[in-house]
Order: sequence, then structure tokens, then C-alpha cells
Amino acid sequence: MSRIPREYLVNRLITLVLTVLIAATLIWIIPRLSPVDPAEIALGRMAAGAGTVENADEILATLRAQMGIDQPLVVQYFKYIKGVLVFDFGLSTAAFPTPVSALIANALPWTIGLMLISLIITFIIGNLLGALMVWEKTPRLWKVAIPAAMVFTSIPPILSGLLLMWIFAAKLQWFPLTGAYGLTVEPGWTWAFVSSVLHHGFLPALSIVVVTFGFWALGMRGLMITVQGEDYTTLAKAKGLKPRYILYKYMIRNAILPQVTAFALKIGLLIAGQVLVERIFAYNGMGKLLYDAILDQDFPVIQGVSYVIILLTALSVFIVDLIYPFIDPRVRHEVA
Amino acid sequence: MLDEHQTERPVLTLKDISIEFPTPRGVVHAVKHLDLTIHKGRRVGFIGESGSGKTTTALSVMQMLAEPGRVSTGSIDLGGTDILALDEEEMRKTRLSRVAYIPQGAMNSLNPIMRIEPQLWDAILAHEPGTSRSDLKARSDEALKSVGLPTHVGQLYPHELSGGMKQRVCIALGIILTPELIIADEPTSALDVVTQRQVMQTLKDIQERIGSGLILIGHDMGLMAQSVDELAVLKDGELVEHGTVQQIIEAPKHPYTQDLISSVPLVGGESFLNPERRAEAPKRASTEPLLRFDGVSKVYGSVTALHPLSFTLQGDKPQIISIVGQSGSGKSTMGSIMLGFNPPTTGQVLFEGRDLQRLSAVQSLEFRKNVQAVFQDPYACFNPFYRVNHALKFPFKQFGLSQGDAHTQKAMEEACVAVGLDPDLVLSRYPHQLSGGQRQRLIVARALMLSPKLLIADEPVSMVDASLRATILSNIYDLKDKYGISILYITHDLATAYHVSDYVMVLFKGHVVEAGPPKAVIGDPQHPYTRLLIDSIPWPDLKRSWGHGGEDWDPSKEEAEALSAGTVYRGDVEGFDLVKE
Repeated sequence: MSRIPREYLVNRLITLVLTVLIAATLIWIIPRLSPVDPAEIALGRMAAGAGTVENADEILATLRAQMGIDQPLVVQYFKYIKGVLVFDFGLSTAAFPTPVSALIANALPWTIGLMLISLIITFIIGNLLGALMVWEKTPRLWKVAIPAAMVFTSIPPILSGLLLMWIFAAKLQWFPLTGAYGLTVEPGWTWAFVSSVLHHGFLPALSIVVVTFGFWALGMRGLMITVQGEDYTTLAKAKGLKPRYILYKYMIRNAILPQVTAFALKIGLLIAGQVLVERIFAYNGMGKLLYDAILDQDFPVIQGVSYVIILLTALSVFIVDLIYPFIDPRVRHEVA
Repeated sequence: MLDEHQTERPVLTLKDISIEFPTPRGVVHAVKHLDLTIHKGRRVGFIGESGSGKTTTALSVMQMLAEPGRVSTGSIDLGGTDILALDEEEMRKTRLSRVAYIPQGAMNSLNPIMRIEPQLWDAILAHEPGTSRSDLKARSDEALKSVGLPTHVGQLYPHELSGGMKQRVCIALGIILTPELIIADEPTSALDVVTQRQVMQTLKDIQERIGSGLILIGHDMGLMAQSVDELAVLKDGELVEHGTVQQIIEAPKHPYTQDLISSVPLVGGESFLNPERRAEAPKRASTEPLLRFDGVSKVYGSVTALHPLSFTLQGDKPQIISIVGQSGSGKSTMGSIMLGFNPPTTGQVLFEGRDLQRLSAVQSLEFRKNVQAVFQDPYACFNPFYRVNHALKFPFKQFGLSQGDAHTQKAMEEACVAVGLDPDLVLSRYPHQLSGGQRQRLIVARALMLSPKLLIADEPVSMVDASLRATILSNIYDLKDKYGISILYITHDLATAYHVSDYVMVLFKGHVVEAGPPKAVIGDPQHPYTRLLIDSIPWPDLKRSWGHGGEDWDPSKEEAEALSAGTVYRGDVEGFDLVKE
């Protein structure tokens, strides 16, 4: 168990690359089934700005050439795949001619920062509360309060976000209303900037935690009920172990295993998942980028964002596969 | 009646104990006014069927009743301590240090994500905080050695151990703080006879050495007779009989106790089958042999599960062929090869002259109809979403045997009656509404409806309560006798094989070590491994010792000896021809 066999690693890497390639292909095919012509949209946008456009056909042809959509589909596809491998998704049609990769590079760190931190917090709180719902030594008050708190899970994130904004930003003014950092601070690794980012990120993170912890708590509750009935939990009690030790080392430690896999799968979803939260808090992340791209029919950006989501999901599943045998000794790195 | 021990200090005194489980549908009285005293160094067996209250009584001593169970009357005195008066923290400290529990499901009793050593250490640390690491290591090593395990086992994870080893670890855990009382809840029910004897011997030795009291919970009268000093017989939450094991076995007073003792099949004892029926087994006209193994072997990776084996089973006269051996002997592999589920590594399996691996779709359907199976677990054999009549009806129609609904219904009813079930009571029920015994009989009925030529029964009674085993086996025996079906009976239970079979093959590590008629092979075993198997059976007979209690007893040596001796052939029967190597 101490080493990962090379053959296993190679097999898993091949699977990873194939998954990503197939996904990239699907992402490419789906928008091309749509009758919409992105060049016409760009032209329309220009026309809306200028009032009239002369030489419309010429401009259209130029736009198509620049976007690369005048070439045969096969050529387009291979150019696309070649580009995708080096994160070149072409130029945004809405923010023409900004490269898609630049848009993503600007948005991704914000989303990863906000979403990953809130996912980790949610994972810890949700699983702990789920475990406490089952544990026999949980104080009665908690046993009532936790299911009651689940009510928040049924609130759409848009509402909880607005509610939090109203209470903590508008009324109490503890936190800023919108934005990812203050207008007066200079981005960089300075305390002023970092604290501003944390200050701005708190409410969006909280609104995500409040609405998503129930997912983890309910999943954990089911797993804990199974573990509670296991013979090893009974024997742990018969051994005279302290209840808290049994909770952590025997019950949670075993019940958490499937949740770790779920965590990896969630990483991909969370990038795009909290679109509305980013909208409300005017947080310039991937969710907002995707949302705007859909409104603008900006295919290259939609493709780029989708690709990054799939890549991150596949990567996190890959990593969990590699570390799983270390957290569950019964699982081995087996060569298929 | 237990005068000679009254003078010793009691380890446990149960006075007028009642245990109830309040449920929405009323209070369930699991244990009713039970009085019992256990003395130092004594081994007391709690015997009774599932639901008799034996485990519940034992768990009440540890204050570990499942919710919402509670002790409603009486007192529990553990060596001078009133258990029911202890607060939670005091009770926690009492567990393991004064009363230890060795659980039934040794397979799942250890935390799967922890190595063995830390699981022994956390137990010590919970009672003696601050114990140094070197001290912990020394004590866990000693505990492992005392149950006959090498100390490197401490570095392994539970899934890397065999069932017997896991159960030994649980025993090591139980005695690590030298408790006054050990409660062992069917500690060997998941083990085969050979391992069972070894593990019970270890438990007895160690209990004698530390001088604690022992409660052994079980339902096997033979195991009790060989293991305990006193027996407490429980039925429906009441103590129906209590006395020394000698009193109970030689002169059982309560009819339930008499039942328990008489339901144990014995080698050489009276048959539980009706001998009158034996004569007239119907003959079948057949030219091709029914089943032929031609140099069949099975290899999994580096393990040879079955060494090349050839035999021919003729179809004209139905026979019951038993294949016996402990777990890992290759007997179930043989069963799945015969059913065509598992292709042999070498050789051919021929059914009526046709290779199982080369059947056409039509031939395959024909084969499935002609060869039926009864498996070990009657709980897993039914689809829980359908009523049982669906399970019976479906294959009957599928194989084109049905001539309309009325005919199907009649066939189902006849099959139920043939296995001793009332069709009106069982057919329209769901599987979970039936007992394990009823389900297993329905599986036999289902097989019977298809009038197969061969039935493969893989441990058909090992999961059924003892009192029902004889009934189900005589159902199976009837298949041969009345309906002319040949049967391959796969089991680890030599006593039943002795009674039902015409020919016995003893399998050890994939080799046939002894074969012949049961009277010879089981009644008078020649091969050391067959002897080991037979010696390992616990007899409900005090004059017959379980044997090998001495200090020179070495199971691995016996196994080596068994492998070096060649196959012993003990004679043939008509219709079955085992090719001698």
C-alpha cells in the first residue's frame, strides 16, 4: 500500500486523458447543433452600437475567418482539440478579441478561492452535524436543532444570499455589499488586499454553506446509521472506549469514506454551480463568466468554461482514486 | 442442584431479571423473571433458538441493550457491584476490565480501517490512560501469543486475516484486561468445524488460566456439551432448565431440551430418515452418463482450488453423492463448475454427453431445467419484491412446463405439500414474511416442480435452525427416493452426509483425500484429514471427548500430515465411478 504501482498509474492516466478528450469533443459538437451563427451575433452587436453597418457581407466573412468558423468542420475540430490541450479556446465573441483563456484565468482563482473554501467548510460542518444526528450521546437540544436547521437547505441560494446581504451588509454594515475586494486596495500579496478579499468573500461563502450543508448532513446521517449498526461499533462500546473516541475513530472515520468520493465529484460542479451567488454578490468568478457567456451566446467561452469544469472534475476523481487506498486499507490499487 | 459450587464466590448473580422492549405496538417481553448465578471459573452455556433471549440477557450485564430495551425488574450483581446502579462512566470502565464481550460476527467486529495493534491498544488506554507505548506493545504481543497468533498479526488490517484469526483477535481483546466474566456470543458460528474446535480450545484454555467465569451463547448442543460445565436452556425469554451439562444431557426434563438434544444428527446414530421408503428408488432409462468430470481442475491466480478430478455419475439409478470438506477445500468451486457458472481451467464437464462450455442456446435451456440448485442462504435466493408464488411460477412457465394457470397452480401446491408446507399459508406471502426454514423448503419445492435430473445442494441447511435441518434434509432425500433425482450434496457437516448419501468424497485443499460409501468413510475414517474432520465435530455426548486438548496439539502439523498422505479409496457404489489417480 505504500507505493502506487506504475502500471495502475499509467492505466488511470490514460483513462483520464480519454475522459477529457471525449468530453472536449462533446462540448465542441453540442453548440454546433445550434442554428445560431456567432458571426451574425457579433455583427448584430456592432450594428446595434453603430446604427448601420456597411459591407455587412464582407465584415461577416472577416469575422468568420477570425473566428475560424469558415473552415471545414474536420479542420475546425482538430484545430480545436489541438488548442484545447494547451488551454487555447480561441477568442471570445462577446468580448472580442479577448482570448477565452485570459477570461478564464481572471475568473478561475476567484471561484476556486470562494467555492473551495466554502465547500471545505460545508463538508466539515455538514458531515459533523450529520454524524451528530445519529450519535447517541448528542445533547437532545442539538438533535432537535440540526434537523430544524435543514430548513435553510430548502431556501434557494439567491434568497439566502439576498437575506444575508440585507442583514449583514445593508442593515448591520459588517460586510461590504458586493465585489471581490475593496475598490481602494491594490491587488497583490499585501495584508490589506488579503483581508479585503476575506472580508468580501465571507457573505457569499456563508450563503453557500447555509444552503448546501444539508446535502452532506443527510448523506452522512444515512451512512452513520449503517455504521452504528456494524459489529465493530458494538464491540468498540463493549471495549469500554470513551464515547467521543468511538464517534471519531470508529464511526465517523468509516462513514466518511463514501463522502470523500462525493467531495471529488462536487469540485467540478461547484465551479459552475453557484452562478447566482456570484451574480448577486457581483463576484467576478467562473459562474458569472459562464452566465454572461450564455446570455451573449459566446460559444468559445462556454466551451472553455465547460472544459475547465470537466478537467477539474476528472482531475479530482483521479486524485481521490490515487489516495483512496490510503484512507481505506481494504481498497487496493488494482490493475484492471 | 449445583451444591458443590455454592461455596465459591459468584461472579455474576442475576435475580428476577426481566427485560422489555417498549414498541409502538406494545411492550415486548424479551426476558421474563430470570434467576441465574455464575461462579468463578465456571463455564455456563446459554442455549436456545434465535429470539429466545439468550443474547439479550447477556447484553444486559454490560448495559448494552439495543434501544429501547430496558431491564424492568430484578438486579444484576457482578462480583459485588450492582450493575444497574452504575452511572454511565462507571459502566464504561466496567466493560472489558471486568466483563468482556466476544461478539458473534467476528467477520465484522474489528474496525476495518485500523490495524490490529491499535485496536488492542485503544482498549487498554481507555481503562489505563497513560500506559507507555512499550508497555502497550508488550501486552498486545502477549495477548496475541496467548491466543496462538504470531505477533506480526498486530501490523495487519482485519481484512487481511481469516475468520478464525479474527475470532482469535477478538478473544485476545476480551482477555487483555483479565476480566472476571467473559461473554462469548456464538463465537464460532461463522467458522468451520476444524477451526471451531481450535478456537474453542483456545477460549477454554485462556479462561481457565485467568480463572474468569464464561457465558457461552449458542444453539449447538454438541458444542455446548464439549465446552461448558453448566447449561441454561432458554425458550421465549424464560429459563426452562438449568443444571450441570451432565444432568441436562443425560436426563433432560423439559420437552424443549429433549428436542434440542434429539435434533442433533449423529454419525452412526439412528437415522432421521424414514427407512421404509429406502427400497424403491425409481429407475430411469438412460444411455449417456448423467454427469461426467473429465480431468477437471480450477486455478485462481496462484491458488489451485481444485486439482484434476475425473468421475462419472450414471443416470439410470439416482444417487446422492456428498462432497465434504472445510471452507477453502474447493467444494463450492466444484459446485459452481457443475452448474456451468465457472469454466474449468482444464478438462471438461459433460452433462448427458454434452460439454457444458459448448452448449447451444436450446441445449443450455434444457440443461438449466435438468440441473437445479439449492444454495446456502435462503434469505438471498428470493427477489424481495415478488410474492413467493412468482418465484415458483416463473421458471415453470419459462421452461414451457405449464399447461395453463390451473395446471401451474396445481403443480405449485403439490410441490409445497411434497416439502411439507401448506400452500395456502405460504404461496401468497412475500419472502420476508417467511422463516429461513420455510424459504429453504420453497427453494426445494421450486426445484422439484421442474422435475430435474440432477440437484446440486450447496450447504442447504447450514443457515437453518438446528431443529429444522432434519426436515429439510429429508425433503431433499425424498427427491431422490420418490422422484428419482440424483443429488450432489455439498457440505461441511459429516453427520448429515453420513445419513443421506450413497457415496462420499472428502475434499482437502482441492484434493479428494478419501472416497467411498459413507459407512466406511465417515463411520471408520482411514485418512488423517477425514479423522481430523470427524474428531472436530462436537458431540452432544459427554463420554466422547472432543480430543486434542493436550499441549502438543498442533493444527498446522495435522494439516501437513493430511496433505502428504495419498487418497484413500474405500470401495465403490453402483452408478458412480471415481477415476483413481
